Formats: sequence, structure tokens, C-alpha cells
Amino acid sequence: MALWTIIKREVRRLASRPIYLLSMVIVPIACALFFVSLLDEGLPTKVPTAVVDKDNSALSRQMIRDLDATQLLAINSRYNSYHDALEAVRRGEIYGFFVVPDDFEKNAIAGNSPTITYYCNMAYFIPGTLTFKGFKTIAVSTTGSMATMQLVSAGMDSESVGALIQPLAIQDHPMGNPWSNYSIYLCNSFAPGVLALMIMLVTVFSICEEMKRGTSIEWIKLSQDSIIVALLGKMLPHTAIFSMVGIFIQSLFFGYNHYPLNCSIWVMICAMMMFVVACQAFALIVCCVLPNLRLALSVVSLFGVLSFSITGFSFPLEDMYGAVAIFSHIVPVRYYFLIYIDQALNGIALYYSRWYFVALAIFPLIATTMLWRLKKACKNPVYVP
Amino acid sequence: MRKVVKYIISWFISLFRVWRREFYLVTHDAGVMLFFVALPLFYPVAYTLIYNPELVEEVPFCVVDDSRSPQSRELVRMADATQSMQLIGYASDMNEARRWMNEKACYGIMLIPSDYSVKIETHQQAVVPFYYEMSLLMRYRTFMSALTDIQMAVGAEERQRLIAEAGDAVAGLDVSAIDSQAFFLGDVTQGFASFVIPGILILIIQQSMILGIAMLGGTSRDRRRLNGGVDPLAIEAPAVATVIGKVLCYILIYTPLTLYMLHYVPLMFGLPHSGCAIDYLLFIVPLLLASAFMGMVMQVFVSERETSLLVVVFTSLIFLFLSGLTWPRYAMDFPWRELGDIIPATWGVEGFVNINSNGATLSHAQIPYTMLWRLTTIYFLLACLLWKK
Repeated sequence: MALWTIIKREVRRLASRPIYLLSMVIVPIACALFFVSLLDEGLPTKVPTAVVDKDNSALSRQMIRDLDATQLLAINSRYNSYHDALEAVRRGEIYGFFVVPDDFEKNAIAGNSPTITYYCNMAYFIPGTLTFKGFKTIAVSTTGSMATMQLVSAGMDSESVGALIQPLAIQDHPMGNPWSNYSIYLCNSFAPGVLALMIMLVTVFSICEEMKRGTSIEWIKLSQDSIIVALLGKMLPHTAIFSMVGIFIQSLFFGYNHYPLNCSIWVMICAMMMFVVACQAFALIVCCVLPNLRLALSVVSLFGVLSFSITGFSFPLEDMYGAVAIFSHIVPVRYYFLIYIDQALNGIALYYSRWYFVALAIFPLIATTMLWRLKKACKNPVYVP
Repeated sequence: MRKVVKYIISWFISLFRVWRREFYLVTHDAGVMLFFVALPLFYPVAYTLIYNPELVEEVPFCVVDDSRSPQSRELVRMADATQSMQLIGYASDMNEARRWMNEKACYGIMLIPSDYSVKIETHQQAVVPFYYEMSLLMRYRTFMSALTDIQMAVGAEERQRLIAEAGDAVAGLDVSAIDSQAFFLGDVTQGFASFVIPGILILIIQQSMILGIAMLGGTSRDRRRLNGGVDPLAIEAPAVATVIGKVLCYILIYTPLTLYMLHYVPLMFGLPHSGCAIDYLLFIVPLLLASAFMGMVMQVFVSERETSLLVVVFTSLIFLFLSGLTWPRYAMDFPWRELGDIIPATWGVEGFVNINSNGATLSHAQIPYTMLWRLTTIYFLLACLLWKK
């Protein structure tokens, strides 16, 4: 049985070199653990910020106490001037500051509309955004309570004024991720991304290495001159190992860490296995086009690293330039990510994700049409350094 | 005395010969040239092109309007008129709205309750639930900031109306007693490319350099394996001279590329670029040195020319996260922050972003700058120790 011979041969190869253990098992799992552990807070709250209080009145002190009491911010220091606070931003010590102007309380009570200003360092997106949110909340609520106070003191009854603090309240309902937890979202996109990168690298490496070492002739001969048998035998052990690693990562996320899983786990397991095969097929296509170890590995790495950006994990696809966005359709990890969103995060009917499964299945089909090129290269292996 | 002078001269000659040989090896290796030259040239452009639209705009949403009143229509018009949101239609009920969302026709649902107009007219608080699809946090953020603005605009309007209705007692009172104004530093437009690219540039410098150096190391080991343990292209020289000679060669190649990446790329795409050239160019010298020495240390893990890719590429993601660009360093646990401390790019990103985006000077970046010099020293010593093993 030729297939069995090749499988046994491949397992022996995998066991003989530590680089395979490293890049097939250790790296993907270690990266998943790294993401989980690094982001386990969910939101980087208590952003280091500062205040510049030029008023030093009861009202300004109250506002600063309110600022410090919010979950989002930590008032780490006080500065005497805008300039000093800006210097601290430039040194990277704080991510924003809140300025209360001179005679603030006096002007506020006299109805002279003093202006609070706040500064957020958006060069760091997440802390900058959280700083903005925290400052804005306090500025708005102070405005509301001051207005109420004025109206009440002008003689309006406090009941009708009460609703004035916020006449319209828009209630947030973030579906699937009510904590707007970054960890859920980053882990579920970046860990599969690393897995995809390692699958593609290992697949290319194990195939083209045969050509580098000149063992590809023997490999094809053992599989009775059938490239299908040769590749099936070679790839199946990889598929099994990577699927197990992938499922382990899923169990880490959905089981141990309780990330939202609003579908049957079998849907995600099935998606994971199809994703593993799709990544292998993608690497195979690269090998067929460029049957050269170094070039194929370079292409797969450059592409694999870019794919973290181009799949639209963070910046939505529909806002990218059309000519750039189309490349996201050739990235297997995008389809896994979309299945995860539909199924695990949003828990909608499988029907809506049908095309993503089809897309994952198309990768191996395309690869099979190009295998003749790889066979030719295997029979006349040339090593180009 | 003469012996010492002779030794010094021969040391410098061997350093020069190592440098010359390394230059030859690099320029005659297409694989290394891909990482050393093509990658720094094209990756910044590719990355910027992906993120260059900068803002998420006109995110589609739909409305379930149970109020069907002039007030509710006004609210919807306000939302639709923002730059951030775009109305795709009115759904008859939540089921239809959910179906639209499942089909990815919209990413938010505004549910206006039947008592909305009554509440607004009678000065009670009106509550409008908004349902967000949470797949991408950028969309959520875009919706949220637009909705907060609407909430405040409606609030101000209602307050004025109440005062007008209340009559003489409070007439003429300005209830917007406190104004507030937000200013954004660093990335003033809050664009995504403007935020991420300056940091990515530093990571590209470090990672492309390490990749190329690791590949050179692997290739040398391949040659040694074929030649009974001796690399025929290696130059006989003391360890320190070898390490310095090689690193000088890499730095020479990277000097024009660094200028291109740190100066011209931000100019080309209109990214934040407010630092002084002298500051960031001086700042980047220890980053280049530390990255090069770190690359030479990483050569230990590379046994073969091609395995360099398997060993190095995935670290880019880890280093990106450790650098604090996406996830701030103050929120990291102790061991991860320590690990980040020994990566040159961590300090490189911190210092360069502050200089480039916030207009800091070298003296503001004192901590990252000294840390980079420390890392340069540590990796230099390690590289010398590990040489010739």
C-alpha cells in the first residue's frame, strides 16, 4: 500500500527534526497562550492621565475626584501648566490630560460658559480612545449637572429639570461581546492567523525540502509515480497534527476561557479542520507556482504576515481601497474568521455562513489542478539557494 | 610596542576584510537582498495602502421605528446625516432587522420605542436602544462616538426648548454653562494608518534585519556542513572584529533605507511627521545596532538557510504586541513587560512614535534611547561570546 508507506515515511521525517515539533506544535500553542495571557484584562483600563487644575475650586476638585473614580482613567499626576502636561505626553508618561481653566467655578456660576479642554494622545489608539471616553463622560455630566443647578436656582421645579441632564439616552447593546472585551476579539483573530502562518510555512518547507535534499525522486517513486498519493501521504499527518493543535487552541478559548460560543462546538471544529486543509492547499499552490524552497517560503511568509492586516481583523474591508480589499478573498484565515463571527460570536443560522465553508473547500480544489507542475519539479529537483 | 601597533593594524585590516566579504555575500544572495532591500522598500507601502483610507465612515445601520412620529424621523435623519453612519432602511420589526444584520447589510439596529415622541414632548427621558454587531471594534467605536454626539445635540436642543416654554422665570438663561472641547494629539485625525504605520516602520526595520541576518547565518552553516565543518567563505578574524565588521556592513545597507522609511514614507502618505530629523535619526542609530546584534545572536537558532523563516517570521506578531503599539504596556503583566524590555523594537516604537507623532525631542525620549544603547551593549557582548561555537 503506497499511501501507507508514504505516511510512515513522513511521520519518521517529522519525528527526526526538532524544527517540526517547534513550528507545528510549540509555536502555535505558545502564541495562543501568549495572546490569552497578555490580554486577559479585556480592556486596558486605568489609563495613566493627568490634570491641569488652574482653578483649584470646590467644583474643579469635584470633577477631578470624579475623573479619578472612573474605571477608565487613573489620574497619575497634576501639572501646573498645559506645557508641563504636554511634555509628559511627549515623554510617554501619560496618554492625555484634562485642563480646568482659571476662574472656572466663578465663570460657571455666573453663566459665562467657561471651557474645559482635554487632550488625548491618539498615537496610541486604544489608550487614546479610552482617555477620550473617560474625559468626555465627566465633561458632559458636569455640564448637565451645572445646567440643572442653574435652572433649579432660577426657580424651576427639580422634577422637570431632572430629565434635562440627559433628555435622550441611547442605550448600548453590544451583541455577543457585551463587555467590548478586546481579548475575545484579538485572540480569535490573531491566534488562527499565527496557526495559518505556521501551517503554510511548514507545508512549503516539508515539500520543497525534499527537492533541496534530492529525496523527492525517491518520494515520488515510493508513491508509485502518483503525485496525489505522494501528497496525500505527506499532508495527512500534518493535517492531523495541525487540526489537533487548532482544536486545542479552540478548547483553550471557548472552554477554558469561556469566550462566547453561541453555536455547536462541532461547527467550529469542522471549520477549523477545513481551515487547516485550506491553508495547506494555499501553500501547495505556492509550491506549484514556485517550486523553490527559499522563494516559496519567502512568498508564504510575506503574505502570511500581511494577511493579518488585509483580512480586515481590525480595519473593516469595506473601508479599504477596492484594489487592496480584493486580496482579502484569497486569504483562508478570513473565511475562518467570518465563520467564527457568524457562528460562535453571533450564533446565527448556519445558512448565512454557507459561502465561507464553500470558499474554504475551494482552496484544495484549485491546488489539485496544479499538481502536475509540482510533480515535474519533484522528478528533476534543482536546488537554487 | 611595535607588536601592539602591529596587532591593532592587523585587527583593523581583518575587520575591513570581514566587512568587505560580508558585503559581497549580502549583495550576491537574492534571498537576503529580498529581506534587506525589497522588504523595507515595499512593505511600508503595502501596509499604508491597506490602512490609508484612515477612517471608518458611513457604517450601515437600520431602524425599527415603533414611534412613527416627526420626532423619531428627526432622530433618524440626524444619525443618517453624520459622517459615521448610513441608514439602509426601515425594518418592520426586530426580526427583519436581525435578518438584515445576519446578511451583513447593516451593523447596527436603532430601535425607537413607541413612546418616544411622547417622552420627548413631555420632557421625560427617552430611552433608545441601539444594537451593535460586535465583530469589529472599529465599527462599534465609530457608531458609539456618533451616537454620543447625537445624544448631546438632542440634549442641548431639549434644554433650550424647555427654557423657552418655562417662560419669564428663566428666560435668557444660558444653560450651556460649561463648554468642553477635545483635542487629539499625535494622530490628530484619529486615522488608522496615522496611528499604526509609524510603529510598524520600526518593526519592519528590526524584523527585516533579523530575517536577513538569520538567513546569512543559516547559509554559512549549510556551507560548513558541505565542507566538513569549515565555511570556505568565512574570513579568519578575531570574534570582536568579525561581529563589528559584519554589523557595519548591515548598517551601511540600512542607512539609506532607514532614511526612506522614517522620512519619505510618512511624507508620501501624509502621515504624522512632526519630529525633527536630527532627533529621530540619532534615535534610530542604537535601534539599528541593537537589531543587528540581536540578529547575530538569533543565528544560533538557525541550523539551515531556510529554517530562518520558520524561526523568525512568527516573532513579528509577538514583538508587535510586546511593543505596546496595540495593547499598551502599562496594562501588561510583569513577565510580558520584562520580555518586551529586551526587544529593541519595543523601545524603538515608543521613542519613535513620540518623536514622530508628538513632536518629542531626543531628550524626551531619554529612557527608550538609553535602553536601546543598553540593549546594543548586551547583544554585542552576547554576539561576541556566541561567535565561533
